[in-house]
Amino acid sequence: MPHVPGLRLLPLLLAAPLAAQAPSNALDSARHALNRLGYGPTPGQVEAVAREGVLRWVDRQLGFGDLRDPALASREADFAVLRTSRREMVALHTDQVTRALRAQAQGADSATIERMRAEARALSRTGERDLRTLNAELQSVTLLRAVASERQLGEVLADFWTNHFNVYIAKGFDRAYFADYLERTIRAHALGRFEDLLVGTATSPAMLFYLDNVQSVADTTAVTAQATRRPAANRPAQRPGQMPRPAVPVRPGERGQAMDPAMVEQLRARMPRGLNENYARELLELHTLGVDGGYTQDDVIHVARILTGWTIDRRGDHGFQFLAAAHDRGAKTVLGQAFPAGQGEAEGRALLAMLARHPATMHHLSAKLCARFVADAAPDGCIDDAVRAWKRTDGDIREVVRAIVHSPDFWAPSAMHAKTKTPLEFVVSAVRAVGGTPDGTPRLAQQLQRLGQPLFSQVTPNGYPETSAEWVNSGALLGRMTFAVALASNRLPGVTVQLDRIVPSTSDPEALLESVNRTLLGGAMTARTRNAIRAELRDISDPRAARALAVGLALGGPEFQRQ
Amino acid sequence: MPISRRAFMKAGGLALVSLGADPLFVDRAAYALRAQLGHVPSGKTLVCLFQRGAVDGLSMIVPAGDPWYWRDRQRIAVGKDDLVSLDGMFALHPRLATLKPLWDRGSLAVVHAVGSPSATRSHFDAQDYMESGTPDRKSTTSGWANRYCQHAHEHAETAFRAVAFGPQLPRILAGSAPALAIDDLRTFGVRTARAEGNDRLTRAFESLYEGAATGLVATSSAEGFEAIKMLKTANPTALPPANGAVYGRSKLATSMQQVAQLIRADLGLQIAFVDVGGWDTHVNQGAGQGQLATRLDELGQALSAFTTDLGDRMRDVVVLTMSEFGRTVKENGTGGTDHGHGTAMMVLGGGVRGKQVFGRWPGLAPDARHEGRDLAVTTDFRALFGEVLTGHLGATDLSAVFPEFVPGPRLGLFG
Repeated sequence: MPHVPGLRLLPLLLAAPLAAQAPSNALDSARHALNRLGYGPTPGQVEAVAREGVLRWVDRQLGFGDLRDPALASREADFAVLRTSRREMVALHTDQVTRALRAQAQGADSATIERMRAEARALSRTGERDLRTLNAELQSVTLLRAVASERQLGEVLADFWTNHFNVYIAKGFDRAYFADYLERTIRAHALGRFEDLLVGTATSPAMLFYLDNVQSVADTTAVTAQATRRPAANRPAQRPGQMPRPAVPVRPGERGQAMDPAMVEQLRARMPRGLNENYARELLELHTLGVDGGYTQDDVIHVARILTGWTIDRRGDHGFQFLAAAHDRGAKTVLGQAFPAGQGEAEGRALLAMLARHPATMHHLSAKLCARFVADAAPDGCIDDAVRAWKRTDGDIREVVRAIVHSPDFWAPSAMHAKTKTPLEFVVSAVRAVGGTPDGTPRLAQQLQRLGQPLFSQVTPNGYPETSAEWVNSGALLGRMTFAVALASNRLPGVTVQLDRIVPSTSDPEALLESVNRTLLGGAMTARTRNAIRAELRDISDPRAARALAVGLALGGPEFQRQ
Repeated sequence: MPISRRAFMKAGGLALVSLGADPLFVDRAAYALRAQLGHVPSGKTLVCLFQRGAVDGLSMIVPAGDPWYWRDRQRIAVGKDDLVSLDGMFALHPRLATLKPLWDRGSLAVVHAVGSPSATRSHFDAQDYMESGTPDRKSTTSGWANRYCQHAHEHAETAFRAVAFGPQLPRILAGSAPALAIDDLRTFGVRTARAEGNDRLTRAFESLYEGAATGLVATSSAEGFEAIKMLKTANPTALPPANGAVYGRSKLATSMQQVAQLIRADLGLQIAFVDVGGWDTHVNQGAGQGQLATRLDELGQALSAFTTDLGDRMRDVVVLTMSEFGRTVKENGTGGTDHGHGTAMMVLGGGVRGKQVFGRWPGLAPDARHEGRDLAVTTDFRALFGEVLTGHLGATDLSAVFPEFVPGPRLGLFG
C-alpha cells in the first residue's frame, strides 16, 4: 500500500474503541465518513461501519471488495428509461417535434409525417411513454439510488461528476441525450480515470449539443479539410442546437418530400457560421484548468479551432462524429504547445490528453473534490495529498479520493459537521435517516425541486454550487422544515417511513429525546435544541404524535442541516 | 470573487453579533420598529414580468405603418380594423385593448426593437443572458436584480425586499443578497397537514434555530421567520382587490394580485419578479384570435387589474415586461413564427413618460433585418433596464449591475 500521510491514523480508525484523538471515537468517524462519502447513515449503519472499521468500509466503497446490490438492481428494473437507448429517445423527441409541426401544418406532407411518426413508435419499445415521463424516471431512479444504494461513494461521485460536467436536461435534443450521458458517460467512469471522463464528455452528444460545439465550424477565412465544399444546408450534423425540426428534410424535393420554401429559407438562415467558443471556454475554465488556470483568450480560440468538426452524427445513432469538412486545418497553439496543421480529430484527442494531465487541472479538480469531501474552503494539506495521488496514478479517481480520505484534514475535528447540506443531500439524508423507501414515482424529485435543486436542471454549465452560501436562504430553509415534518409524520408524497424501526414509541419524553438524538443527530443535539423540543412535547399525550413531532423538529432543525 | 456585503454579513454574522454591531440586524430592527409604528415610507417598487418563450413583439405591439408587416404575414397579421392604434405607426394587439386607457393617461410606454446583443437563438441561453445581465457570458452566476440589491443600500432591507413568484428563485435574483421565492403567498411558511398546527410548529422551529443555529443558517432562518411574522401581522392576502379591479384566474393574475397585496401591505417590496410562459408560437400562432391572442388577453387582464387595484400607488410602481428575443418577421409554414431577435417591451406606471414608443425603429425591409430575417435590435435591453433602475428606483451606479456595459444616449423614459 502506498504511503500517504493519513495512514498514520489507520490503526486508530480500524480499532474500536479509539483513543481520545481526532476522530474522537469509532462511531463519530463512521458517522463522518457516512455523511461525507455517502448520503448519511441509515438506521444502525453508524454502528455497523464502526464495527467493520471505517477504512475497510471506505475501501469497499472504492471498489476493492465485493459490493453487489441485488436489491437495488431489482428495483432499477422498474425504470424503463434505463432500458431505453439514445436512439429510441431521439426517436421520441423527433416524434414530439413532428407532432407539434403536424398540427395544422400546411407546408408539410402529411403522409410523410405519418410515416415518420410510425417509425418513431416502432423504434420505441416503451409504447406510449414520452420523453418527459422517461426523464422524470431518470430523476426518480437517481434519488432511489442515492437513498438505497450500498455503493454510497459511487453515488456521491456520480453526482459530483454529473455536476462538474453539467448538462441541462431540458435544452432541446439534450432531452433525448441526457439519460445516455448519465448512464454511459458519467456513471460508467465516475470511479475511473479522469481522462476517460473528459474524453467521454467531450465526445458525448449531450455535451456537444449543450455547449454548442455542434455549431462550431471553421471560420470562412480558415482553410477547412475540404475547402471547396461549404457545409451544405442538408447536412443534419451541422444544424444548430436549438432547431426544433430535425426530422424534416431541408431541401425541397429531397427524398421526394415537399417543403415550404419559407421554411427552407429559415433553416438556411440558421446554419452555423464560424467558430463557437462556448465549449472551448468551459472546457478550460470549468472542466479542466480552472478559471485561474493560466490560459488566455487566444488559447480559448485555438481550442475551439482544434475542436471544429467535433459534432453529432445525426444521420446515424446520434453518436460522436468528426466532420472533416467543418474542421479548421490550420496550425494551432494551446498553452504554448504546438498542434501542427492538418491532424484532424487527433488534435482534439491530444489536446484532451494534455489537459487531463496539466498541473492546473490536477489542482483545480483536487481542490474541488476536497471542497466536496472536507470543507467549503478546502485545506491545502488535503489538496496536496490529492494532487500527489493524481500524479502518481495518472488521474485515477479512486486513488485521489483515497488520498483525500487518508488525509488528516478529512478527520480533523474542525471538519466534522462543517458543511451545510445541499437540498439533495438534505432530502436523501433525511429519507435515509428514517429508513424511508422512495416509491419510485416522480414525487420525491418534485420535493427536491421545491427545495431549489431539481436534478439535471441547472441551466448554467458551472453546475450547482458546492458551498453553503449559495444554498442557505430563508425560503429554502422553511421548505426544509416543512419537508421534515411531512416526512416524520409519514405524509411526504413519494416516500414511506417506518419510525418504529428507529425510534421506539414511548411516553417518556426524555427517552424519546435521547433516542432521537442518538439515531438522527448522532449525539450532536445541543441543549437549546433539547429544551426547545422538550417544551413542544410537554402537552402532547399521544406517544406516536410526540414521536413524529420530535423527529420532524430534529430533521428540520439546524443540526441536521449540517454534515 | 468580490465579497458582497451580504455574504460578509452572513459569514461574519456571529462575530458581529458578539460585538453587538450587526448592521443588518440594526437596519432590520429599525425597519421593524418603523413598521410597527406605521411610519414606513412608501418605497418604489419595480415589477419585472418575464414572458418566457420569446413573445412575438410584432404581434404584441404591431408596426402597422410598416408595409413589410403586411407583406410577410399574410396569415397571422392582425386584422387592420381590429388594431388598437397608438400613434399612427404602432398599434396594440386587440386583446391588449385593456391597456389603451393607460396609454391615453400617459402611464404606458413601449420600447420597440429592443433585445440582446447576443445572436443566440436558444431560449435557454438568451433567457440566461437577460437574467444574468451579461450577454454571451455564461459564467456569470448571479442575476442583475440581485446585484442591484447587493450594491444599492438606500432601500430598507426587509425580508420582502426582493421576491420572485414561483417555486424556485430565478436566475435574475440569484446571488448573495437575500431574496425570497414564493410560489403562493397563501401557503408560504412552515406548513403541516393541519393548518391550525402551523403557528405552533413555526414557533417551535424558531426557538430551535434561535438557540442552535450559527452563521448562515442562523441569519437565513431568522429572515424566514421574520417573513412569516410580517405576513402574519400585515396579512396581505386578506386585502381584496381595490377600485373594482378584477383579476383573471390565470397563474399570472394570481401572482400579480399577490404582488399588489405585498405593495399595499407596505412590506418593503422593491423588486418583484413574475414570469409567464406560452409565447413560443412556432405553430398556429393565430392573429386577432388564437393561441397568442389568448396569452395576450391574460397579460392585458392581469396588467389592467394590477394598475386598477393599486390606483394612486402606481405612482411608485413600475411594471417592466421582458422576453428573451422576438420572432421572425415572416410567418413560417405552420402558421407560426420562429426564433428571432428584436422584440417589444412595455414600461408601465411610476413616472414613466408614457404615450410614446421609444427606441429607433429599424424598419422591417429585408435589408434592415437582423441576419436578413428578424427585427433588428436598436436598443440593448441593458440600456432599458438600466434606465428603469436609475429613473425609477434612483440607482446611481450600474457598473456592478451591468458590468462592462456602456449605455449610449438615454431613451428618455423618465422625466
